[in-house]
Amino acid sequence: MDLHGRTHLVLGLALLAFALFTIFVWVPMDSATGLLEQVRRRVVIGDALAPTIAASFIALGSLLLIFEQGDLACGMTSRNILYLAAFLGILISSILVMLWLGPMLAALLTDEGYRVLRDTAPWKHIGFVVGGTAMVGGLISYIEGHLSIRSFLIGLGSALALVAVYDLPFDDLLLPPNGDV
Amino acid sequence: MGWVDYVWMGILAVFNGPELFSVFGLPIPVTIIMVFAGFLTGVAVGATPGLAGPMAMAISLPILISVFGFTVDALLPVMGFLIGIMKGATIGGAVPAILFNTPGTPDAFMTTLDGHPMAQRGEADKALRVAHFSSVAGDTFSDLVLILCAPFLAVIVERYLDLPEKTALLVLSLAFVAAVIGKSVGKGLISLGLGLLVAYIGTGEDFYPRLSFDTQLLARGLPVVSVVLGVLILGEVFASLEDLWHQSRHGTRDRPVAQVTRQKLTGADIRKLMPFIGRSAIIGTIIGALPGIGSTLAATLGYTSGRARHARKGGSPAFGQGAPEGIAATEAANSAVSGANLIPVLSLGIPGNAAAVFLILAADSIGGFNPGPSVFRFSAEAVNPELVIAFGLFTTMMLANLMNWTIGGAFMRSMGFMSRIPQHILMPIVLLVTLTSIYVQETRMAAIWFTIGFGVLGYLMRRFGISPLPFVIAFILGGSLESSARQAFAATGGDPWFLFSSVTAALFMALAVLVTVLSLRKPKGART
Repeated sequence: MDLHGRTHLVLGLALLAFALFTIFVWVPMDSATGLLEQVRRRVVIGDALAPTIAASFIALGSLLLIFEQGDLACGMTSRNILYLAAFLGILISSILVMLWLGPMLAALLTDEGYRVLRDTAPWKHIGFVVGGTAMVGGLISYIEGHLSIRSFLIGLGSALALVAVYDLPFDDLLLPPNGDV
Repeated sequence: MGWVDYVWMGILAVFNGPELFSVFGLPIPVTIIMVFAGFLTGVAVGATPGLAGPMAMAISLPILISVFGFTVDALLPVMGFLIGIMKGATIGGAVPAILFNTPGTPDAFMTTLDGHPMAQRGEADKALRVAHFSSVAGDTFSDLVLILCAPFLAVIVERYLDLPEKTALLVLSLAFVAAVIGKSVGKGLISLGLGLLVAYIGTGEDFYPRLSFDTQLLARGLPVVSVVLGVLILGEVFASLEDLWHQSRHGTRDRPVAQVTRQKLTGADIRKLMPFIGRSAIIGTIIGALPGIGSTLAATLGYTSGRARHARKGGSPAFGQGAPEGIAATEAANSAVSGANLIPVLSLGIPGNAAAVFLILAADSIGGFNPGPSVFRFSAEAVNPELVIAFGLFTTMMLANLMNWTIGGAFMRSMGFMSRIPQHILMPIVLLVTLTSIYVQETRMAAIWFTIGFGVLGYLMRRFGISPLPFVIAFILGGSLESSARQAFAATGGDPWFLFSSVTAALFMALAVLVTVLSLRKPKGART
């Protein structure tokens, strides 16, 4: 069996296992009603039926996949995994900066704390602008293969433009992370 | 109230709607401005390789909803903007295809085959004019078919289809989408099953929200905008950036070469192109009316059919060597899909492509308009507001066509510079805009994490050759499929064979099985 045929086999088996787990474990244990229910002497469709049918489609598709020929252009290699890990690393780190920078600075520099200040400039913008700049700048730098001031300036410009679009004209719209903290 | 009154009210809803500003005392309605803005955005987006109409629709939807709010008055401006994008993007995609041999949208690939050779001969301007004329002609034809067909199809559905038949029709549509999209029926079914499963998380009729692991996080269900934008947009951004990452390490990025001369289309040119445009417009409209089959297949079929005719007539230059007829055949076909795609949306509530998904999402988010057969429920005594909105939408489409015929060509030809915007800069900005828009709408970080999670799923689906479109369509239709099945089951007195209780329902179910089995037997190269 070639590499692509093996990819289909592994993917098909993994999805088949997931579908069977869903049908026999997840759905029965995590739905209050079964496939069919008796309500006031009438038989009605229970909450478990629809997800069971959905998982059956996944199981059927997986079985077909196992017996289908591989597609030459599909599959994951170590390069894909490396890319995805680095990409998610930059993305998630910048969102964490967005989430925590404002509260951390407020805790360090003020007595009130971020919750009180989150509707006042510049506090409400700090996390978003720095995190957004890091996200755009970091990803551009990652693709280009080197850090550059230009990529972070593009990030800063994008973040400031979004502040101008959402925050300046609308009082009731909240930029991240001001709805949560 | 007669039909004519409804049509007139729809037109008035656009032209007499809320005023944005006035010029010399003449009020300018907000809907017209939004269609115009959407149209210009669409042309610019279509002319930018890496961005496509659905991506722009996805990004702008949360912004528009934030601006216009959740009132019925928001429907026409918001949906008008989205329709403007849809129409603008169909002509914009030809610009980089002709000038730089890079299709701006996937369906413009066939345009490169004749468009770029024309540009290399110094006929770029003429090639762009051919593309514009054919594209707008195909699109307008398709819109007229939509306006004529959708109401009648909806009336037939309402009059002749009962609950079991409607459920069977939904099953047939989903089977069709799973079977014809992508390169494998197995993968289509997996995508469909995953979409349905995700739609059922945190929902159900019992007090306990099913499949929620007894957590508050999942108890409200998954945010629709996170799931759809995650799989469709973030998945695409993740995958495109990876391709650029690989390219930057192997130095395979193409260098564009621009050429411009000024050559108008003559009456003789148009007469020569019309048979190709007419044939492709019909092909595109038929393809567009079927859910799930995209404009890329329409473009391929239009081009192939045009090439056969051109070869029979002994036309020169041949297709592939810079024939204007090749551009006309492709552009008329792929543009004719956009109007016809709305036939299943407006008459049945079934989205056939990504653009239609965002129109349904807009209608769902704002409320007051539920695409489906009930929209065309004609009532003579009381006004059906949904029918007025439907005719308002048709008016916005015709407005966008008018803009396309008048200023579209010149604006499209000025958009060549958009092709030079580097994708690796554009994509991270798209990512930030998408995540910010979702947060502004949902106001909780959980929505961002869900979006990233579904972005990873969308990325993995693309890498394993699984089309995300059946997933999204199944996710959107999952709720209606279940509620329709519950009602049909109850209405037939708990008949387990309710999907086969009438000839029509049984026919739909048989067709669903047939289309799946036939797709299994089809050779791989013949699939979309």
